[in-house]
Amino acid sequence: MKTTIQKFAAGAKIFSLIILGGCFLGFTTDVNKSDLEVPATKSIKTDIKKELGVMPVYGNWKTFTKEDGLPADKAFCVRIDGERVLVGTNAGLAVYENNEWKTYTVEDGLAHSGVISIDVSELTGDIWIGTLGGLTRWSAGRFYTFTQFNSGLPNDVIYSVVCDGKDVWVATGGGAGHYDTYTEEWGIYTERNAPMHEPWTYGVCAGGNKIWIAAWGGGVIEYNPKTKGFRDYTDPDGEMEIDLFPDDGVVHNITTGVSYADDILWVGTYFGLSRYDGTHWKGYFDHDSGLISNFINFVKADGSVVWLCTDLGLSSFDGDTWVSYQKDKNSKKGKILITNDSGLKEVDAPTSISHNFVSGVDIQGDNIWLATSKGVCRGEKLK
Amino acid sequence: MKPKIQALLFFIFAILFSVLDVNGQEHKMNYGKTPDDMIPYGRFQKAYINFFDKPQAFTGAGREKAPPTDLTEVRIGFLGPLEGSAMVPQGIQMLQGATLAVDEANKKGGYNGLPFKIMPHNDVGLWGAAANEVVKMDDEKVWAFLGSIDGINTHVALRVTFKLEIPMVNTGDPDPTLTETRIPWVIRCISDDRQSSYALVNYIYRKKGHSRVAVLRVDSRYGRVGILEFKDAVLRIGYPLVLEVRYAEGDTDFTTQIQRMIDSSPDAIVLWGNAKETALIIKQIRKMGMKQPIFGSDRLMSPELLKIAGKDAEGLVTTCQYNPTLNDSALQAFNKNYYDKYGMEPDVFAAHAYDGMNIIIDAIHKVGLNRVLIRDVLTDLKTFQGYKGVTGKIIFDASWNDIGSIWMAEVRDGKFVFFPPSPLTYDKPANNKSTSE
Repeated sequence: MKTTIQKFAAGAKIFSLIILGGCFLGFTTDVNKSDLEVPATKSIKTDIKKELGVMPVYGNWKTFTKEDGLPADKAFCVRIDGERVLVGTNAGLAVYENNEWKTYTVEDGLAHSGVISIDVSELTGDIWIGTLGGLTRWSAGRFYTFTQFNSGLPNDVIYSVVCDGKDVWVATGGGAGHYDTYTEEWGIYTERNAPMHEPWTYGVCAGGNKIWIAAWGGGVIEYNPKTKGFRDYTDPDGEMEIDLFPDDGVVHNITTGVSYADDILWVGTYFGLSRYDGTHWKGYFDHDSGLISNFINFVKADGSVVWLCTDLGLSSFDGDTWVSYQKDKNSKKGKILITNDSGLKEVDAPTSISHNFVSGVDIQGDNIWLATSKGVCRGEKLK
Repeated sequence: MKPKIQALLFFIFAILFSVLDVNGQEHKMNYGKTPDDMIPYGRFQKAYINFFDKPQAFTGAGREKAPPTDLTEVRIGFLGPLEGSAMVPQGIQMLQGATLAVDEANKKGGYNGLPFKIMPHNDVGLWGAAANEVVKMDDEKVWAFLGSIDGINTHVALRVTFKLEIPMVNTGDPDPTLTETRIPWVIRCISDDRQSSYALVNYIYRKKGHSRVAVLRVDSRYGRVGILEFKDAVLRIGYPLVLEVRYAEGDTDFTTQIQRMIDSSPDAIVLWGNAKETALIIKQIRKMGMKQPIFGSDRLMSPELLKIAGKDAEGLVTTCQYNPTLNDSALQAFNKNYYDKYGMEPDVFAAHAYDGMNIIIDAIHKVGLNRVLIRDVLTDLKTFQGYKGVTGKIIFDASWNDIGSIWMAEVRDGKFVFFPPSPLTYDKPANNKSTSE
């Protein structure tokens, strides 16, 4: 009897340890931590490369902060303009050119020194700068500012700006705005003339001959410039606290960004990621994919790869393989997390992204640039 | 220790860990204190993912930032309807409640000898004005802000709050979705419309046994989003509304809507809107011969409603986020001090703003002048969990929404008489009435 009880007690202890261990330490199964570090050179080990397929992987990160010439460490966004790198910070627009940073502020003509979105017109080369106090057009070396007072801008807080030919679209707290640079006329789209629940918009992109708007609380709005018609895509379960089915539509109506490439629309939310191919939706979460966090600040699709700026690092995905980048809190070194059908592989790296709270990303040839909560960083594609 | 005892202790700890709410709530419960039979799709399908089981961390930088050394005052922002809105009386009450808290803190020495100062901002103005006003607050270098009442303006402000990283304490907007955005920079210190809805559903359907309810609501975000939880809940317990009709803010004639309600033969009526219009609706409902009992949302608990509706308001039952008549020394002191200072009785917005501003001041005292650290302490679900304010005990859930107790009030002899709602039942609906009265 005593032996039975002892066996039972031992079993119970093991069971309890498993339960408690699972609760407090988190499950770490299927993690294969590689002992092969990514070297400081521009190459990557063959076994890792096999895992990646066509996915690019970046390393040799270099961080830029105030000490390097940035006006502030907190960066909201980054946009490549040929050889230049444009960075929006809370203390102005920083431009990196010829290995030097130059800052533009209100004194130079910016609408506000809080720069939270940037786009470059392929048609004219003009830079459109979304700030916390209006929209600024940087053209031929001069700054022109649009505000609610002097134009048809819906609101002065410009969360997102995108140039689509002659048209400029903005997502603001007071609705989406459209500026025709030829006619110089503004259009405002809110819940009064578009299928939005409320006027709040947070992201906008162009793709597939359409404009896509991330409507905060209203899912995604599709606008067809040819027909001038709208269509909305919302979470079919209609509930804020759950996602009933992951693949039935956008995972949540609180959308934070949209990006379109290769006939795919990617939708970022604070609750996960959605992919839309024009017919089917698919949802991705941190517990069922290689997405490093459900809290997505910004999304950018570039060819077949989508980049997700999250509060726990940067994730990238090409439909098959996930590659995520994190800074280790303790060692300050980098970590690369590769997830595919064969599971999760964790690779140590000697350098890391500047901070895990990533707000913006853009690609410049073989380089990738990130805007983070503490600095801007540049990574090089590993061969 | 003997193996048997070891095993027993381990089991006890394991069970304790599994039932204790790690977020500091008193009891583990469904999100939003939702009864089991009102869980979305709960009868048919388990959700793939529940979003608010855990609080959303803020992982950004800024905790290391040293406080400034050249301050002459400690600024706290205020966002509310102060001009150009029908909600100005409520906005002024909110500002007065917040100001009283600041005045009291300054009498005690402020923050390390520096006085606290409220930086008031009107949330009514150009399209999306709340966003621009929060940017101004950032320029003014506030350490946190309190606001607002209107659901749209508060949402707009919240979005900017995250960009600018300013802690936001909401004490006046009951829109359930405000704390369902996952932005980890806002806490709410007032019960939301979800709690009001569940209390009303419980009272109307389970205590009073009604089954055919018609809704007349204001066509605004307050009416649209407010009634949503009520509508969903009654659908889930098997009693869909017999009618939902709307009116525009500022309307004075509700004949068409009331006639539609008469035609739908309800056995009870729910009104969701502002006090003034609802008072007129109540008068017209009685004038047109409807005798059904009337229930309503929190904004009806107002002297304005009693004044306009008069005797017709008798029997009206509403929810209220606190009980202003409670025999509580802190509440009574607040009521007296408020009256002495402003010459008027405090309302629900004043009382909650007083609590909210005291929480901001306490947070600053605890962690100093650093916005991220202020945010951290406001949201840690420990420091202010169970905070005892003049409005009662504040219980935050993992989305930092106040799910503490709510009250109900019935108009008797021209006054609101308060009573606690029955505990939310988790049973199937009682055998309710099926015909109209």
